[in-house]
Amino acid sequence: MGSSGASGNLEGEMEVDAFRRLFPLRFHERHLLESIRPDARPLERARESTVALGAVASADGSAMAKIGHTTMLAAIKMEVMTPSSESPDEGCVAIDFHMPPICSPFVRPGRPAEVAPVIAKQLSDAITSSGMINLKELSLTTGKAAWMAYLDVYCLDADGALFDAALLSAVAAFSHLQIPAVSINEDGRVVTMSREDGDGKLANDPVIKERRKLTLNCILFSLTCILHKKYILADPTAEEESVMETHVTVVLDSSSRLVSLYKPGGPVLAYASAVQDCIALTRHRVKELQKILNEAISDMEVD
Amino acid sequence: MAGKAASVPSTYSPSPTQKKKPTIFKDVDWVRPDGRGFHQCRPAFLRTSAVNAASGSAYVEFGNTKVIVSVFGPRESKKAMLYSDVGRLNCNVSYTTFATPIRGQGSDHKEFSSMLHKALEGAIILETFPKTTVDVFALVLECGGSDLPVVISCASLALADAGIMMYDLVTAVSVSCLGKNLVIDPISEEESFQDGSLMITCLPSRNEVTQLTLTGEWSTPKIHEAMELCLDACSKLGEIMRSCLKEAVSISKE
Repeated sequence: MGSSGASGNLEGEMEVDAFRRLFPLRFHERHLLESIRPDARPLERARESTVALGAVASADGSAMAKIGHTTMLAAIKMEVMTPSSESPDEGCVAIDFHMPPICSPFVRPGRPAEVAPVIAKQLSDAITSSGMINLKELSLTTGKAAWMAYLDVYCLDADGALFDAALLSAVAAFSHLQIPAVSINEDGRVVTMSREDGDGKLANDPVIKERRKLTLNCILFSLTCILHKKYILADPTAEEESVMETHVTVVLDSSSRLVSLYKPGGPVLAYASAVQDCIALTRHRVKELQKILNEAISDMEVD
Repeated sequence: MAGKAASVPSTYSPSPTQKKKPTIFKDVDWVRPDGRGFHQCRPAFLRTSAVNAASGSAYVEFGNTKVIVSVFGPRESKKAMLYSDVGRLNCNVSYTTFATPIRGQGSDHKEFSSMLHKALEGAIILETFPKTTVDVFALVLECGGSDLPVVISCASLALADAGIMMYDLVTAVSVSCLGKNLVIDPISEEESFQDGSLMITCLPSRNEVTQLTLTGEWSTPKIHEAMELCLDACSKLGEIMRSCLKEAVSISKE
């Protein structure tokens, strides 16, 4: 109580930046009283977001997503594996999330961020459980060969709502993915067909799969909200996340079905109505993100 | 062990059906794979303040080589460090898993980290931040050849963006020797066929060299020629970097 009393006296004469650093919670609460946030957003508005497809030339599918300053680069590389005996006609998707030291002052080389494996697991759970990708489409020859899609998401700039940006970039990378055309050579190994050698070579190495795109059964989008007292703040920045610690992340598919909902503890115990408000905000956000992604895809097709 | 091997299937990336015709580099009049002249650098794109969370940062693209460098600090040194009158410089270079044509492990590149450190430390006025550390972290998003010189130039741009005092910008350029020819700013394919390579890291306005590495087979006149080429390219790159920094400042003033 001593600190808040002291801040009361100091408020009048202190500079805004100093007040923001010394009493971050009071700083944010003063904004919340006026229904505004330090970056001039209303409580329920998400930051401006962009998606760019094909950012990495050396990958089979890639995308860069930005939500405010938070930047994610996702890339998919396709490799060949032998499918397991339980599911001989299915491929596999391996998802990983990295936070290299460039992205935040709190990550140092050799000391990886604690949240990175958590987000990797959430991403992987959301994508595999929703059935977004039909693993049968990744099959090449039953029991012999199938695709393993390695999706790696790199956080280039961390400024809050990391999961939302990571999921957006992952989904965009899958919609950009081009599975290369392949054939099987004499040794039984899978080799890629380059476009030039189409004519004479086809006879001995039959193409087993043409170059194609993956069909996505549904598309996932998410929104992270902060619960603080009676307020709900959509799409928090890193500063907001560090001050107010109760987060709710909702993942919906394109037809607004609930895929997953995370509320990993936190000091605020949410009523069902608060959770429903979060879902309603996400439903609105899905429409925005869908539009952004569609624009990115149609931009790509024009080129 | 057998069970583990079954649960984690080993994978391989499918190789092309026919080996690409090896470009004949040794001929007198071959053309570079990307159609450049021998003494012509790749088109470059430079931007400062790419990462908001860092004190300073830069993104640099040379052809397909894409690098981001973030600078943090000056900030408190690790607790275990002894007292020091001058500042410390800490460098780290890592690759993304998708940087190379064959998927990698995305691990730290120890050799490049120490090379980056040695290339930069002579240019930074370490006396201006005693007791503290400046961290320079680089991530290679995509490697397309001449990775280390691009990392070094990008790092000095990021240091300037962070307002770390330096005697001058640091620019780096490499040259590959292929048979009779010297090619500047080689791409990966050219690097894999090279007989020798030379990299110079210098302070262009002071005309001082901070680092020079030479590998492979060279004749003395060739070394002189390659050094001239590199130094000339370094000073041009220095001007481009300077104008990039000036542009960023004039935009932020508006």
